[in-house]
Amino acid sequence: MLNVIKEQKGNVLVVRFTGSIEENVNFEALIGTPPEELHVYCKEVPRINSIGVKAWIRFFQSLKAKGIKLKFFECSTAIVQQINLISNFTPPRSVESIYVPFTCMQCKSELVGLFKCEDLKQMKLKIPDLKCAKCGGRSAFDDIPEEFFAFLFRN
Amino acid sequence: MSKTLLLISSKHEDWTFAQEVSMHAGLTLQTVNTAAEGIEILSGEGASAVMVDASTDEQYHQFENAIQDSIGLFSEKINANTTHFITSEELERVPYLIQSPLFGNYIIRNYGDIKDAGALYGRILYASLTEKAFGLKSFLKEDTKIQTVKFRLSTQKQDAVEAVKNFLIAAKFQTRMATIIATAVDEILMNAMYDAPVDDLGKPTLSTTPRSAKIELQGKHQTEMAIGFDGKFVGISATDLFGSLDKAKLLSFVAKIYTDEEYKVKMATAGAGLGLATVFRSGGSLFFVSESRVKTEVTVFFMKTANFRDFKDQFRFLTTQFYF
Repeated sequence: MLNVIKEQKGNVLVVRFTGSIEENVNFEALIGTPPEELHVYCKEVPRINSIGVKAWIRFFQSLKAKGIKLKFFECSTAIVQQINLISNFTPPRSVESIYVPFTCMQCKSELVGLFKCEDLKQMKLKIPDLKCAKCGGRSAFDDIPEEFFAFLFRN
Repeated sequence: MSKTLLLISSKHEDWTFAQEVSMHAGLTLQTVNTAAEGIEILSGEGASAVMVDASTDEQYHQFENAIQDSIGLFSEKINANTTHFITSEELERVPYLIQSPLFGNYIIRNYGDIKDAGALYGRILYASLTEKAFGLKSFLKEDTKIQTVKFRLSTQKQDAVEAVKNFLIAAKFQTRMATIIATAVDEILMNAMYDAPVDDLGKPTLSTTPRSAKIELQGKHQTEMAIGFDGKFVGISATDLFGSLDKAKLLSFVAKIYTDEEYKVKMATAGAGLGLATVFRSGGSLFFVSESRVKTEVTVFFMKTANFRDFKDQFRFLTTQFYF
């Protein structure tokens, strides 16, 4: 179940999502109508099902139609999957940063690293390794680059 | 009919795969290179099942035309349940297969560990040749423990989905894999609870009911989930008692992608029409068995892999078995 923490910063409403997005979600009730700009933080969204996707698209498209500027930050891998699968899941160039998945080559732990989309574009799919927080070993990007970063190179 | 798996392909990897499949299905493999040679066998001694390289539109039509010219598309010697098309392409890129009257089973030629892939598909094929291919147990390795859950209320779905995720994490699946599989289970359970119910005329009865609505799952609405993990593959099935699955509709949903075109929100229906396509593009294989007006069982299969990259790039298939 999705919980939302809201914070007003001038003309920007900042919301932080925590929890799965599924059939019980009611974005209108959770967020309301933001002022000029809405910043959405999605780090803590582990899962979204098809009904959640439908509700997401409907809500954010309605805000866009009202002229509200949308920006998405710290998108979890579940959110990135949907951004890649559905061309209008987020408006063009509205995704600011995403979590990139890594797996430690030594202890096999799963890790995520936060990257700005602009930086990722510059890297041209060559993602640097991370140091494993658990064992200090080398952690490598663990997904198919052409698929995971596809949205970055969409027109 | 001879207990034979007929492979029509000149590709060595298809032959290796079919060899494993036939071994696990208890069939003798017979291989030919061309559709014409294959049809000669089908019109003669016949075969229990046929695997056909349908990588291109031309290859597929050679096969279809050869059948039409000899035994006919509606012959007892061939049917959609026993025909297995092999391609290297995603479903949306092979419209000639989706439109084929012979479409029943579709295999993506990305076998990975060919022994593992062949073993799973061999069990699938074996089950498909029995009178009715229901039951998760027959798809997984012998002696795999199967747990079943009977739902009383649709609102129990979320707990079941979380339980599946926890079960998989306990079985040492990466958390990200477990989450993807749990979401796949969410989708097939939702379909069983809200999309399967139809009236006597076959009209959906809950198509406009919000997916958050509490439905009592009694009588005809009974929904069951089964889960088993054989150390390599996890299989999870959702069963309903309506038997209302429509192949054309099903294929249109699985093959529909929105990477280029926009997804249009339809408020006239409560469903999203996105679930199965997402499952199939997340590494999962799908097996649909439906007996008209009796029951439908939808099973997802995922292989446990050492890393997520291999998980996403794993061997996949879409199998349908319809009984009328």
